[in-house]
Amino acid sequence: MSESASPATAAGGHAHDESKFHIFVQLAMILAVITGVEIIMVYLPFAYGVIFSILVILSAVKFLCVIFYFMHLRWDKAFCTILFFIGLVLAGGTMWALLRIFSVSDSKPLTSSFNRAAPVHETARG
Amino acid sequence: MSDAAASTAALDPHHDATTSTGIPNKKLLMWAFLASDCMFFGCLISTHLIYRLHPPPGNPDPREIFNPPLTSFSTFILLMSSLLMALAVSAIQRGNVRSMRHALLGTIFFGCIFLTCQVYEFSDFVFDKHMTITNCILGSTFFTLTGTHGCHVAVGVLWLTLMYIRSFQPAEGTSGNAWFLRNLLHMALFVAAIGLSMYLVLDLVHGLQAAALTAALPAFLRRDALFLAGAIVSYVGLNLLGRTRGPVSFNEANAIDVESMGLYWHFVDIVWIVIFTVVYLLEYI
Amino acid sequence: MSPPMQDALVKTNFITEEPHAPAKHLVLWRPTAKTGLISWLTTVDHKRIGFLYGISALFFFLVGGFEALLIRLQLAVPNNTLLTAEQYNRMFTMHGTTMIFLAIMPLSAAFFNFIMPLQIGARDVAFPRLNAFSYWTFLVGAIIINLGWFMKDGPPNGGWFGYTPLTTKTYIPGHSIDMWVMGLQLLGVASIAASLNFIVTIINLRAPGMTMMRLPVFTWMTLVTSFLIVLAFPAITIALVELMMDRLFGTNFFEVSNGGMPILWQHLFWVFGHPEVYILILPAMGIVSEILPTFSRKPLFGYPIVVFSGACIGFLGFGVWSHHMFTTGLGTVTTAAFALATMAIAVPTGVKIFNWIGTLWGGHLRMRTPMMFALGFVWLFMIGGFSGIMHSAAPADAQQHDSYFVVAHFHYVLIGGSLFALLAGIHYWFPLMFGRKVSEFWGKLSFWVIFVGFNTTFFPMHFLGLNGMPRRTFTYDANMGWNDGNLISTIGACILGIGIAIYFTVMIFTYFKGERVGRDVWDARTLEWSLPNPPPEYNFAVIPTIHARDAWWYEKHHQEEIEKEKAAHAGAEASHGGIHMPFPSIYPFLSAIGILIWAVGVAVIDPSPAPGIHLKLGMVFVGFAFMFANVYLWSLEGADGYHLHPHEEHNEPSQQEAHQ
Repeated sequence: MSESASPATAAGGHAHDESKFHIFVQLAMILAVITGVEIIMVYLPFAYGVIFSILVILSAVKFLCVIFYFMHLRWDKAFCTILFFIGLVLAGGTMWALLRIFSVSDSKPLTSSFNRAAPVHETARG
Repeated sequence: MSDAAASTAALDPHHDATTSTGIPNKKLLMWAFLASDCMFFGCLISTHLIYRLHPPPGNPDPREIFNPPLTSFSTFILLMSSLLMALAVSAIQRGNVRSMRHALLGTIFFGCIFLTCQVYEFSDFVFDKHMTITNCILGSTFFTLTGTHGCHVAVGVLWLTLMYIRSFQPAEGTSGNAWFLRNLLHMALFVAAIGLSMYLVLDLVHGLQAAALTAALPAFLRRDALFLAGAIVSYVGLNLLGRTRGPVSFNEANAIDVESMGLYWHFVDIVWIVIFTVVYLLEYI
Repeated sequence: MSPPMQDALVKTNFITEEPHAPAKHLVLWRPTAKTGLISWLTTVDHKRIGFLYGISALFFFLVGGFEALLIRLQLAVPNNTLLTAEQYNRMFTMHGTTMIFLAIMPLSAAFFNFIMPLQIGARDVAFPRLNAFSYWTFLVGAIIINLGWFMKDGPPNGGWFGYTPLTTKTYIPGHSIDMWVMGLQLLGVASIAASLNFIVTIINLRAPGMTMMRLPVFTWMTLVTSFLIVLAFPAITIALVELMMDRLFGTNFFEVSNGGMPILWQHLFWVFGHPEVYILILPAMGIVSEILPTFSRKPLFGYPIVVFSGACIGFLGFGVWSHHMFTTGLGTVTTAAFALATMAIAVPTGVKIFNWIGTLWGGHLRMRTPMMFALGFVWLFMIGGFSGIMHSAAPADAQQHDSYFVVAHFHYVLIGGSLFALLAGIHYWFPLMFGRKVSEFWGKLSFWVIFVGFNTTFFPMHFLGLNGMPRRTFTYDANMGWNDGNLISTIGACILGIGIAIYFTVMIFTYFKGERVGRDVWDARTLEWSLPNPPPEYNFAVIPTIHARDAWWYEKHHQEEIEKEKAAHAGAEASHGGIHMPFPSIYPFLSAIGILIWAVGVAVIDPSPAPGIHLKLGMVFVGFAFMFANVYLWSLEGADGYHLHPHEEHNEPSQQEAHQ
């Protein structure tokens, strides 16, 4: 049983439906452009750290656009956002922790290149 | 089961008066499930990344295996499918079943293109680049991760198809058995159409890679005449079954189901955004 | 004329209108039975589903207990030959898996199902058919894990934690591990489905006026546990998928020769495994937080902080998993980080204990059986917590890890903690569920025998562990200095077994012939006690309006105000056509059958060429198709229901036999 069932909310909910079509299409175009930028980015001659950061930021922007606009979180009750972010933050945190644990020298397998004192990403060519 | 003070006037897709928070139950369920799925994919992606930290000797270099143009194309495709999904939800929230059906078909179509690209990619990696799921750790993690994502896409396509077919359910008063059998036929036609189309496209592409257009096309037609006929029949059948006959029992009240499905589909898209960056793009920096 | 109070849930007393369920299509059949086998297979009533979970849990608890007795008998004397090493491996694997997944978790689920909707003033959970599906899938998972007893390859034998590379095909080529993997996957599916349901129910189906901070603590713990389940189980799902891929398709996740790292299994397993132990203890803490106030005749001390601590424990529980891996060579920084986090998690736990003591302080204590078990919980869980804190110091853990000290620790928190609280809950809510009260003498006798038996079994294990006795070894030499400790422990286990036997006998006797009691026999504080024993199918005749925490206590002390409210609401609900009840459904059950066939097929596949490969592949496809068909029909069936009107006479407590 709801504590607040106001007909007014019902009417307000429909008001912005017409314009959502344009928001969706424009957003899709923006996301496509961002994807294009990401693809071009990897072939540009910048430092690893710079490109990595830009890629992460651009992906995060795409991610947030989809969840807040396509998945409607922007217009829904805040609890939906909180619920999803609990899972997202936990997953992200677990992933970060696991990667940190496996990056420490004690975790490197004896067969890995670390023991040959070469940076990890270069040995991928081996 | 909450007491439904049965008021069907002015359905607001964003507000359900019978719940404590105003959020519809199915929407809340789906968001909770997606939070769970975040952990699921998080662990799978972690496995892949952990194994990219210390590749053993003999592990292939992804840059010699991956096909960036193909994967970029898939990414665009999935993005567009997300747009169409959002439009489908928007349409049914306004009670426009026809627009919803068109948008759903578009989403299904783009989803199938994505799957076809993935099948092509997998067969390319296995047969031409000699990376299998068993012969190296990269293969194991890559195929499991992207394969699981592909399964999620396939489940989504299945769900979309079933929702599309459901939108033809006639309003009460018509014979139940006939509709159910028509239902099954509709599903069978979709399976045939999708399966045959994917096979034909892949076969054509492989044919074009092996020989020039002038030679490949006739060979393809000869080889796959039967399949082609089958596909055409399926599409004709789908077209016929896709015609509306009278009122259907599908309207704004069903929008919550389409919206829940939409949430799932968008989630599959955002997981791909992460996978595309982290599995493909990062290898090329 | 109301029928006399029968033995509760086997029959319902509240058949008012036959639900008229129009058949929709060719294959859709609407079950209408209210009694008998079909009514149980098709039930969507949360109370019946809770009962099913409870019965199953208690059955598997006995199975797991029997496995434990065999373990203790084998270890009673040095160089014993009761069990071979191979048999011993199966015993401790099955004991652990059974007790955690098939006993404690479903027993908690029984209470989540039965009690939680009643505590929030709801008529059922948000998705009744999904709820039924969770139970049947749980049962399928339980069957698959135990099928090995009847198979050539035997039951699972890789430990309940399934460490690789032992569980890879290289070292255990038989299907025992495959059955374990598939069974556990299905248990995960069942748990996640149920927890999603509970989350939506608690957030969305609360009675008017039931704000989050007026929820009973048991409901809060249900919510936190449900979050833990949906967020932790995916990790083990992935771990099991990777192990199954290795075993079935020859992938390299844990295959060292091709770059795999078996330690990854340990990480993924414990990312799940640590929140899992909080999943096991939080419901118990919730139950104790209901019982202590009732039998102290005082509200819970520091309700907001108890709730907040529960949520903290849940959240922090995700950051401590590597404390199960201190001896695997993680490196200094990692080890220190996890040790710190583990010490931190003791804080909210300690806070809860102080709040429980604060509840008792100055209260008018009534030492009934549920109270005895609850008090036992507080002290025994504390002892378990102390040994836990000792583990959190990584240098000390270097000696304690894989020794009997760990066994002592987790049995104190799991038996002294979880089990005691669940046993308390059974005693406490028995009158509500079945209308009968357990005799005080027999209840207390069972408590004392269990208490003495438990401590005799597990306290010596602290010393055995510190004296170097390792875990998971099927025998030991006579000159290690462990003889006395093991013998005492085994004697204790027999006493514990007797105590459990008394407890079960008493329960069964009480169910059939126990003293009948009226409503609210404990003069309790929460909403479930406002209902008749047993509660009617529709729970509340009129959905209550909540004015304060401990809503039933408020109702009892503001009777006039509540009477007027109820009269007004009853009128409103009647004018809407009555109470809306969901139709029962066969599809959750049938879907689970399909899953059973599919899962067994997957588990027993041998790499081709092998005899019977076609049959097995057939099982896989047929099972999957059957499951899919039934899920599809489930979706076509729709969430319809029927209306009924409550019987007036069942709302008056004076009309029921009331003994005291």
